Amino acid sequence: MPNVLVFAETRANTLRKVALEVTSAARALVDSLGGGEVHALVAGTPGVASVAEKLGEYGADVVIAVEHAAFAQFDREAVSASIAARAGAQSYRAIVLGFSAQGRDVGPRVAAKLDAPIAADVTDIRASGDSVVVKHPAYANKVIVSLEVKGAPCVLSVRPSAFVATASPRTVRTEAMAPASDPSASRVVVKEVIEGGKGRIDLGEAPVIVSGGRGLKAPENFKLVEELAAAFGNAAVGATRAVTDDGWRPHSDQIGQTGRQVSPQLYVAVGISGAIQHLAGMRTSKTIVAINKDKEAPIFKVADYGIVGDVLEVVPALTNAVRAAKAGH
Amino acid sequence: MKIAVCIKRTPDSESRFRIASSATSIDETGLKFDIDDFAGYAVEVALQLNEKQGSSASHQDKPGETVVIAVGPDLVQETLRKAMSMGADRAVQLKTDAVPYDGIAVAKALAAELKTGGFDLVLFGKHAFDTSFGVVGTATAELMGIPCVTAASSLEISGGRGKARRELEGAAEIVDFPLPAAVTIDEGIARPRYPSLKNIMAAKKKPLEVKPAQLGQTRVTVKSMELPPDRPAGRIIGEGVAAVPELIRLLQTEAKVL
Amino acid sequence: MSASNGLFLVIAVIGAGFFALNVERLVTYMRLGQPDPRTDHPLVRIKNLLTIGIGQSKIFRDSVAGPMHALIFWGFMVLTAGTVEIMIQGVFSKFSFAQILPDPIYKLYAFSQDVFAVLVIAAVAFALYRRLVVHPRRLEGDNLEHTDALIILSMIGGLMVTLLLANGCSYLVDPASVGPEKPASRLVAAAIAPISAHPALGASTFFWMHALLILTFLNYLPYSKHLHVVTSLINVYLSNTSGPGTIGAMRPMDLEADVEAFGAADVQQLTWKNLLDGYSCTECGRCTAACPANITGKPLSPRKIVVNTRQRLMEEGPLASGDRMEFSHPHLVHGEGADAGATTAKDVAEHRLLDTYITDEELWACTSCRACVQECPVSIDQLDIINEMRRYLVLSESRFPEEVQPAFESLERNGSPWAFNPADRADWAQGLDIPTMAEAVEQGRRPDILFWVGCMGSFDDRAKKITVAFARILKACSIDFAILGQEEHCHGDPARRMGNEYLYQMLAKDTIGTLDRYEVKTIVTSCPHCFHQLGNEFPQLGGNYEVIHHSTFIERLLQDERVPLQSEEGKRLTVAYHDSCYLGRYNEIYDAPRETLRRALPVVNLVEPPRTKDRGLCCGAGGGRMFMEERTGKRINIERTEELLATGAETIAVACPFCMTMMSDGVKAINSDVPVLDIAEVVATQLAHE
Repeated sequence: MPNVLVFAETRANTLRKVALEVTSAARALVDSLGGGEVHALVAGTPGVASVAEKLGEYGADVVIAVEHAAFAQFDREAVSASIAARAGAQSYRAIVLGFSAQGRDVGPRVAAKLDAPIAADVTDIRASGDSVVVKHPAYANKVIVSLEVKGAPCVLSVRPSAFVATASPRTVRTEAMAPASDPSASRVVVKEVIEGGKGRIDLGEAPVIVSGGRGLKAPENFKLVEELAAAFGNAAVGATRAVTDDGWRPHSDQIGQTGRQVSPQLYVAVGISGAIQHLAGMRTSKTIVAINKDKEAPIFKVADYGIVGDVLEVVPALTNAVRAAKAGH
Repeated sequence: MKIAVCIKRTPDSESRFRIASSATSIDETGLKFDIDDFAGYAVEVALQLNEKQGSSASHQDKPGETVVIAVGPDLVQETLRKAMSMGADRAVQLKTDAVPYDGIAVAKALAAELKTGGFDLVLFGKHAFDTSFGVVGTATAELMGIPCVTAASSLEISGGRGKARRELEGAAEIVDFPLPAAVTIDEGIARPRYPSLKNIMAAKKKPLEVKPAQLGQTRVTVKSMELPPDRPAGRIIGEGVAAVPELIRLLQTEAKVL
Repeated sequence: MSASNGLFLVIAVIGAGFFALNVERLVTYMRLGQPDPRTDHPLVRIKNLLTIGIGQSKIFRDSVAGPMHALIFWGFMVLTAGTVEIMIQGVFSKFSFAQILPDPIYKLYAFSQDVFAVLVIAAVAFALYRRLVVHPRRLEGDNLEHTDALIILSMIGGLMVTLLLANGCSYLVDPASVGPEKPASRLVAAAIAPISAHPALGASTFFWMHALLILTFLNYLPYSKHLHVVTSLINVYLSNTSGPGTIGAMRPMDLEADVEAFGAADVQQLTWKNLLDGYSCTECGRCTAACPANITGKPLSPRKIVVNTRQRLMEEGPLASGDRMEFSHPHLVHGEGADAGATTAKDVAEHRLLDTYITDEELWACTSCRACVQECPVSIDQLDIINEMRRYLVLSESRFPEEVQPAFESLERNGSPWAFNPADRADWAQGLDIPTMAEAVEQGRRPDILFWVGCMGSFDDRAKKITVAFARILKACSIDFAILGQEEHCHGDPARRMGNEYLYQMLAKDTIGTLDRYEVKTIVTSCPHCFHQLGNEFPQLGGNYEVIHHSTFIERLLQDERVPLQSEEGKRLTVAYHDSCYLGRYNEIYDAPRETLRRALPVVNLVEPPRTKDRGLCCGAGGGRMFMEERTGKRINIERTEELLATGAETIAVACPFCMTMMSDGVKAINSDVPVLDIAEVVATQLAHE
């Protein structure tokens, strides 16, 4: 019965959400192959082993703890070497990790070291004979591709939030492992980590964007947009050309043909009519919500969900509702 | 500095895609192709680094040179010429019928070509628009035995060492590394220059070498492709404050963004 | 011949000779420019010379300065005959035209000299008053000083005064020599009689002063803006701005040519005609006063562009033509800091027209509205220089506002300046039962007319309504037409206007290929930019079609009573029609849209803003400005909207989708709710119900 190795990523000795997801994905894969073990490798400063025991709740049988003082900063070279060493020493069907910033560094390195095939940004995994068939969204989510990955082990880098962290509790054995390469010999050295600047998320990164336009009537009303963004928690604030031209918001906030082009998961257009210039900047957003008092406004043709109404009334109500919904999680 | 930039020919990101009758690729009729967006930033970064440094300050005293390399069929020559019209000095085509999804195979072909090139810096786009795998850059560096920094949103080179900023989720890292090294380039670092007619003309005369691509086995292959379910037509769900609860419900259950 | 005759001859020869040398020098500099054949259509050119040049037709557009200048100019022409007589008299004292002209003609001639001397004095006095007391705005700005003008006006005044005084003294010496056909001279004689002790000496002195002034004036010309006296009529003859040829068509460009640079960064890359334009500029400022960019505070001044061209030519000319004498004493052209500080040959060589004199900000501020060209009394083509320099910026240096790059890239990838999916192009036609050319041809039909929709009309939500309105009119009139649908893509005009000739030719040639494949003969379009490009500029690349703008087309349909209109009475509607630059100044279509409104609306009150028809103020979107940010000064569209609303109009009518966008934005920005409608929409609302 084949085993699956998981790289469970941590930051500051805390398991990241994707680590739980990949453990569950590995568990499901192993179960579909008739049983077998999920081995989860974690890397961090001393003490990370006990944190990683939580992975047992999500289906990990073994935790391989690679502890070293130098792992206060993420050491992509030593971590990759360690995973490859472990996979070289034991036989695994697959190595599963998250398609995150860390994962993008580790996955291909491990695949190259092991001369193993790799598939990334994976949203579905199915074993099939001696291959694994995965699904992944290609061409900016416009095409779903099914890939056949031949060879063991194969490296599977999984899209965050595509798999659900599912409870599958068991007792976990912990093994210690020394880093397979000397961290002091790592050539890429982290000099500094800058935490997200003052709560302002970059428009290009933000999963949610709340944008305001002329329909807000006056610059003071933009605080309604900011409050709604704050309610979402992970949202950035954008603006149309009309209001940046008038100086309500800085030009760097402008979304449109001559400003930023964005493609968030959720785009909330507040008091925006939807002129061609603006649409060019946001129409590939996954979900678009529009609030505008003019039901003929062009924005409603591209919006998935539209509310016709006075933004000065609807937005505060929406802000409260979003806050309540988020608190429920 | 001697800089290599590995580029990919991808279709325009605004296109609407259809699946070919074979169901294992997209239908290319009517599609416009160009240098992949992130690879384009990488080319611009290379050109700017060489413009800044000139022919001095290379850590091995080589004259500044920017070489672009692409894996693929003869169609990629147009893409390589475009990179040369931006200012790259020469190009290499590693010829193969179709670019495989198997990033390790592509990395092997690139590593074989780059190994003997004496490059100070090898640049890639963070990932390609079509696969968005982001595998080739890091894997090629690993096969070459050089350090790799991924998703750099800023890059400085001086005294044979590099310094880069990488965006993480909600934070950023500043890393330091020695040359020779590979870097994959994120957006925001440079805007690819628009080639002038003069440069377009000059690019036609720049050297373009064609060699066979040493891919080895391809173990990741396309089984099938399909279009995702249609985006349902948008709708106005209600008026005024009263529509808010319904919106929340839809965002939670239907769109799954809340 | 006496000693004084001899002296006069010597001085005259020296004076004329020096002038000739300067003319030769200026011609040499001018020939540093590129070739540009201008010998075609001599009859059209002569007509321009007579109307614009001699007839001063453009001069009269200013109702105050117009008559003033016309008087000075006609006076100058008439008095030239007298100048000839005087110069001959300087050598042959007894000479007079009376000896060769029949008596009545001579008397008429003599009378004309006298009368015009007085009229010119009056005009000059008024000109001085205007310049020194009234300070008209257009005579200020652009770092200009009045010194040159004052010198010239004083000299002209001096010439007239010395002439009259010489005549007056002559009369006092011998009354028979100044007949009654010279009333002014006689009056002067009477006035000076009491103080004139030695009239003979006076006559001789004033005669010499007059002659010397003539020679001084002549030789001052090459160093002054008054050079236009020599060049302006020639310039009007050689100009194409009022025909021959297609008005407003950008110059064709051969991209295969083996040249150092494409476009113009310096005077040698402009044509000799551009450089002659530089010589002909009087700095009157009418162009700048009409420029929408300048009016709203942008750094662009068409006058400055032309003056800079001359200044740079004067700086570079000596060096480039090996004129060592001139170069070793670099002069300043009429004194207003003409040189850009060059003191050495190296400086001069490093300078160029672009950047040293004319900044790219100025060049990009232009909306290509053609108001400057329309106003210029000596037919200078300011826009030609701007266009050639834009071509250089884009083709040779890839320098342009960064927000333009997405437009270029989108044109190249998607066939439209906005990132819209080409597959969506014909979505507006859904449910309207409009065939595409492909469908029609498949069914073995050849539609009479191609309706060219354009990118705005295909993708912009507001403009799509115009498209639908016009399509409804066509259907209501049972016109046999088709559209290209997804086979339509931009013809490249925005790229061309922004200087990207390479991208333009690629798009245009492909479009011509498609049109010819369908053997299209007649095209109707609702966009004036498409109209101008397809009809007026496509022939340069081999595309020849009859192209009609929808305002003309609808007007013809209305005239032929083919449009089924409602017959009910409407209430009286006050409408202000905003003239589109590409319909108006480019194609002289002012009446068709107005007629359309009058015929379609039963009771319409058409009001005109102060700047209307060929003086109409641009909406601000032309010349590629639609794709650029407006960062300086007042927004042009707000300036225009305020002017239109001040007429008290209840509706603003337009005939261009760009104007539609700009006026709609303007109206919203001023918080007005006056509707902005395309004339097709106005007519469509009046269609009888089907």
